[in-house]
Amino acid sequence: MAAARAVRAAGRRSRRLFDIFVTQLPWTVSSKEVKEYFSQFGSVQRCQLPFDRDTGFHRRYCWIKFSSAQDVQNVFQKDSHILEGAKLILKRQSQRRYDQRKSQSE
Amino acid sequence: MAALLSSAGRLRALCSRLLPLLRPPAAAIARPPPPASRNQIHQIRFLTVAPQQEGSIKEEAIPEIQTRRPWQFDLALSKMDNSVRKTGRIPKALLLKIFHDVCKTGCPGGNQTLLLLRSCGALLPEILPPERTELAHMIWDKMKELGAVYDTSHYNALLKVYLQNEHKFSPTEFLAKMEEANVQPNRVTYQRLIAAYCDEGDIEGASTILGFMKNKDLPVTEAVFSSLVKGHARSGDIKNAENILSVMRMAGVEPGPDTYLSLLNVYAEKGDIDSIKKTLEEIEKTEGYLMDRILMQVIFSLAKAGYPQYVEDIKERIRFERELIPDAMNLCLTLVTHGFEDIGFHILKSFHHLSRENMDQGSFFLQHCVTRDMPLNKLKQFCVELKEAKMHSAPLPFILRCALEANKSALAVDVMKMMKEEGLPLRPHYSWPLLAQFQKEKNLKGVFEVLKVMHELGVELDAETYTDYVFKNFPDSETALAQLKKNDCLFETVGLSVAEIRYAAAHGRLNKVLSLLSSASTPPIDFRLFRSSLISGFKSSDDVQLWSKITELLYKDERYCLTPPGPTEAVGYFLYHLIDSMSDSEVQAKEERLRQYFHQLKKMNIVIPTTFYSGICRLLDSSQVPELIKEARLLSHEISPSAENIPESAKSDVSALEKKLEKRKAENQPITDVLKQLIHALCEEENMQKALEVKAKYEPDMVVGGYAALINLCCRHDNVEEAMNLKEKVFPKDSPVALDTGKYITLVEALGRHGRVKDAINILTEMKEKDVPISDRTVASFFRILNAAAMRGEVETVNRLHETIVNLGLADTAVLHSPLITVHLEKDDMPAALEALIDCYKKYGKVLQLHNVYCRLIEKGDADLLQKVSDFISREYGDMMALYDLFFAFLQTGKYKEARKVIETPGLRAHSGRLQWFARRCISNNQMDTLEHLVELTQNLFECDRDEMYYYMLQLCENNGDWQKAEAVWTKIQEENVVPREKTLILLADILQQNGQAVPFEIPKDKREDTSSLGASNVEERKIRMLCKTNNAKEAYDVFLKMREKNEFHSRSYETLIKALLAQNCLEEAIQVKHIAETHIKGFTLNSAASSLLIISQVRRDYLKDAISVLKGMLDSGSLPTRPAVTALIQALAEKGDLKNLQTLKAMLEDITQPISLSPSLIPNAVALAHTKNNDLDAAVEYLEPLLISGAQNPDQAVRNISYLLRKVSEDGLEPALEKFGVMAERLASQFGIYRPVTDLFLQYVSADRVDDARSLVQRYGALVEEKRTLLRFMARSATKPGQAKNIKTLLKLIPEHLDKEIAYHYLMKCYELDEDVASVKAVYEEIKGENVQLHELSLKSLAAFLRKVGEPVPFTEPPETFKFYAEKWRKRKLEAS
Repeated sequence: MAAARAVRAAGRRSRRLFDIFVTQLPWTVSSKEVKEYFSQFGSVQRCQLPFDRDTGFHRRYCWIKFSSAQDVQNVFQKDSHILEGAKLILKRQSQRRYDQRKSQSE
Repeated sequence: MAALLSSAGRLRALCSRLLPLLRPPAAAIARPPPPASRNQIHQIRFLTVAPQQEGSIKEEAIPEIQTRRPWQFDLALSKMDNSVRKTGRIPKALLLKIFHDVCKTGCPGGNQTLLLLRSCGALLPEILPPERTELAHMIWDKMKELGAVYDTSHYNALLKVYLQNEHKFSPTEFLAKMEEANVQPNRVTYQRLIAAYCDEGDIEGASTILGFMKNKDLPVTEAVFSSLVKGHARSGDIKNAENILSVMRMAGVEPGPDTYLSLLNVYAEKGDIDSIKKTLEEIEKTEGYLMDRILMQVIFSLAKAGYPQYVEDIKERIRFERELIPDAMNLCLTLVTHGFEDIGFHILKSFHHLSRENMDQGSFFLQHCVTRDMPLNKLKQFCVELKEAKMHSAPLPFILRCALEANKSALAVDVMKMMKEEGLPLRPHYSWPLLAQFQKEKNLKGVFEVLKVMHELGVELDAETYTDYVFKNFPDSETALAQLKKNDCLFETVGLSVAEIRYAAAHGRLNKVLSLLSSASTPPIDFRLFRSSLISGFKSSDDVQLWSKITELLYKDERYCLTPPGPTEAVGYFLYHLIDSMSDSEVQAKEERLRQYFHQLKKMNIVIPTTFYSGICRLLDSSQVPELIKEARLLSHEISPSAENIPESAKSDVSALEKKLEKRKAENQPITDVLKQLIHALCEEENMQKALEVKAKYEPDMVVGGYAALINLCCRHDNVEEAMNLKEKVFPKDSPVALDTGKYITLVEALGRHGRVKDAINILTEMKEKDVPISDRTVASFFRILNAAAMRGEVETVNRLHETIVNLGLADTAVLHSPLITVHLEKDDMPAALEALIDCYKKYGKVLQLHNVYCRLIEKGDADLLQKVSDFISREYGDMMALYDLFFAFLQTGKYKEARKVIETPGLRAHSGRLQWFARRCISNNQMDTLEHLVELTQNLFECDRDEMYYYMLQLCENNGDWQKAEAVWTKIQEENVVPREKTLILLADILQQNGQAVPFEIPKDKREDTSSLGASNVEERKIRMLCKTNNAKEAYDVFLKMREKNEFHSRSYETLIKALLAQNCLEEAIQVKHIAETHIKGFTLNSAASSLLIISQVRRDYLKDAISVLKGMLDSGSLPTRPAVTALIQALAEKGDLKNLQTLKAMLEDITQPISLSPSLIPNAVALAHTKNNDLDAAVEYLEPLLISGAQNPDQAVRNISYLLRKVSEDGLEPALEKFGVMAERLASQFGIYRPVTDLFLQYVSADRVDDARSLVQRYGALVEEKRTLLRFMARSATKPGQAKNIKTLLKLIPEHLDKEIAYHYLMKCYELDEDVASVKAVYEEIKGENVQLHELSLKSLAAFLRKVGEPVPFTEPPETFKFYAEKWRKRKLEAS
């Protein structure tokens, strides 16, 4: 069981290496614009930009998933990222989903 | 930064003005300490706070307060507090939200109420004053209704709100109300009442209050005089108003900013611009104050009084620097609120020169205009002008957002139209806030309208719009579509199709999905757009046919595979995510369906890339469905982790080792190990002399480890010479053998101490060369070494060692460099210290020891060097840091006047980290005077957390038990209109109570129990605790019963009492106390020891159910029961044959058996016993036997012994059971070679005096004698209870050759000693002598003591050492024997 769990953890870890967490997004952009912007650095697999259904505004942060570590590196090679006048704050993301799933299934 | 740079000029000028002051006699600036009251300034302070990002529309997001947890509530309060500090205002919504929250929670705390009340004045620039007062009254009444207790601070806060809102009220009635409520007015109250009279121009009223103050001997402060200025002016007597200034000077109170503001406002109200100008010039001449914030107040007064034409005259005198932004923002907001938006906009544009790239200015202004329903053309005009001035990059999208946030849909639509005209992009999600709002209102018409408008604006709405904001208004997607059609807003787009598919999939209607996907009218869609809905659809359906058909469609229909990787990739990805989204149990439950699914896919010739295969394999593997893996033809792998613990070897003692060493030497056996042990033992005893002797004697047999220990020992004893000799000999530089880090360090340290710098450097170099591991501790040691040298003032040593350490790269932390400076400070060589400081910065980028350098320079009055260091810090770290350093140094050296000048430098902001650093320093050095000055001087510092500052003071008050000072702090807090946090109030209450003073306010509720222990019940509580300590639990209980009606106790007291009662077996009483405690203290729980005692008592009384629930409660709350408690409970359950509860207990205890070192065999034994008690022997054997077999193979957590079971059945005379388990034990021995059970049986026979059975057993299973440790433990245990000597005698008879005689006789002797059987003791001694067995010293020692005790002669020489000594030796002996 422990072994299986370790394998799963390792597997998931390796999958999560290519995520970026972006904050300070301007309210005017939706995931489409974010994706377009980040596509210049590599192939964007997914952009998760949560909206608050109650207000209809997004929460000004999103997760971007690239297909390779190189893409992520490309992003961080650029000093600052400005999208529609707003300076974005970027962070490399770690193992978020693994933790979620773990707590779910246990 | 620009602001600070601009102030840099001022700073330098300031410095050059200040520094000469250092030269005695200091020419003090003619400015007496400020009068105690500076209310007006505080009002200003609220408006004067740090600039902040204007990019965001709301300065402070409104926290979601949905759950009513108190901590979240505190969070909201602190958010509000924060907003005040940073922006000088509170958004109304935030205030209301918190207010409603308090209403729902009930029971508002004193400071919460205070915070709410205080917020209803100038802190709400976005609301008109009458509305603010109304809000204050509502809060006041509502809180009172909810049980808030008002004290002076609340009445004072309400007064302040009245003044700020220019609310007309009767001061006498106010006083009467206070009196009625039995609340005493204080100085602050009177000051504010005077201000109230003066606002009305009622000098007579003001004079009455002034009379009260004089009667009470209260000081008349600047606040009073500045009120009088206004009072006289408003009564029409400008002359007298102007006269107040000289009056106050005569009274010894210097006019300050408050007074001048008062005077300027008076002129503004009259539109007397000439007098204003004249006054300003005068102030500038005499005071040199920066009047910007005051000028802004004057602008507002002019606007309000109807003299907008003079605004420009004032405005041009203001320097619009960054630090003024918060004040200016508040001024603009106030102006807009009062309908002077053009003046506001005029002010706003003054900040034009501060615009920066990517930073919009004026957002707050636009937002407030939207809130105040400014007409569209006005908004447009502001937008155009801001854009032209390049102050705002996107004003239109911004006001769109404001309109959306404020749910102004008409405005939003108009703005979007404007945006379209301007060619700005419009996006689907711009419609979402409107749709969300209409959905909330259930306004379908509104929804349709939005859809139409967006269509007209040419925006194609996407799937999310429909899924999240349109369909939700209808029972299902079909109805939605029909309704849209009916209302002419059905626009067939990809977005709509995707939304339809998603809807069907998410609702598990896979047939609908299939029909939509196969419909010819569906446009091409990237299937990733509905992948996750599809996954959830699959998961909620069991129709494998549909799964397969849909998958096939996705694979084969080109419409759904638009992206380049193609269908293989897409479907692979889908499958992977499908499995990934399922939990383990889901996968297991759907195993069969997944199998069919895979099968069908295969039949459909669907291929998936290998990477996804292996990914899916991993997932399946982790979900433990190996069969499925096969089905997907995937691989799996295993990793088996292993861990090993190597036990530490036992230590040895010197004399035994010496003997051993000599013996070995004599026997010509190898001695290296023993020698090493001996050296180590000697080192531990710090016996250097002896250690060196031993070394000399056995030199050839010395090993490296021994030398290393010896070197270390020599260093510790400052024998550097010998240490180095040994080191050179055994660990030469070029040898690969290295000492460990610690020993190198000790060596370097000793060398440094002896001034052998060169050697020390060599050692350091060697450390590097030999790559000795450097830990944090090592680095700390380096610092210690350097600092020691610095304290000795050895510049050369410090420099060279430091250089070596750093150059070699052994360590590189800032702290390491500070001795470079310390050494010069130690020698009082300031130029050198400063040079070292600068040098350090240049080389390592760190500034160290700065405060000490500064202080020393100030003390010495060395203005030149001070200037130099200030310049240096300014240059490198900016003026702010330089100012703080200077400020702290002036404070530290008691030069408060200079400190004030520094901290009042315009543009300086609170740096909480730095303030905290200095405050803590004051607290730990017990410098109340310095701390008090710090707090006072930072009063007007922007963004300064005042509560925090007062908290520091209270902390020191608490340390010193100074309640008078604490009380003074309380008044100051009110005067400054600060709302203390709960923790501050609690601390204050603590200090007062601890010193026997009444607390003049309501102590925050949730913490009260902690403080109450210090209150009235103190005496009884202490009495109870004392009685408990002296074992008078009953008496303590009586006291408790008498007291409990009146008092609540501290939880510790309850616990003590419960424990004491339990110890004396008073279970009922203990439980009674527990109940009372639980009603008094919410969430009261006993600690581990008390709970365990409770369990034992309950078991004793046979209240097993209660005991289990106590145990469960303990485990739930995360505390560990003691082993005796658990054991007692388990055994009791076993005796009862209560299998069910045993199983429950087993599950509960699974994780804690190891932490409480519960024997892993206990529960299995208990279960077997329970079966036995239930007359089900077969079940017992069936249960136990496999456990014993697997236990023998698996060393962790093994079930090995059955002694408890055997003892119990034997004691209870359950002969058939004993026989049955005996057969099992023999079977285990003969078939599996597991001897422990049969050994247990053997020993059970021995204890039960069944010698023949025992003999026959040992004859059949000779190997059982190899269970040495079991035998040993048996003997040891026998020797703890009286009457067990026969056990050991029997063993000696049955298996004499397998026993360690020394040990066996030792225990036998102990048994007889325990029985006080003198004759047997003597007989055994003779027997031992006869057998020629050497008795252990411990046995002899114990025997001698026994014989002496019973008055018999001791027939041998008693061993000389102590019992403890031999006991230790015995312990080691035993280890060898087992």
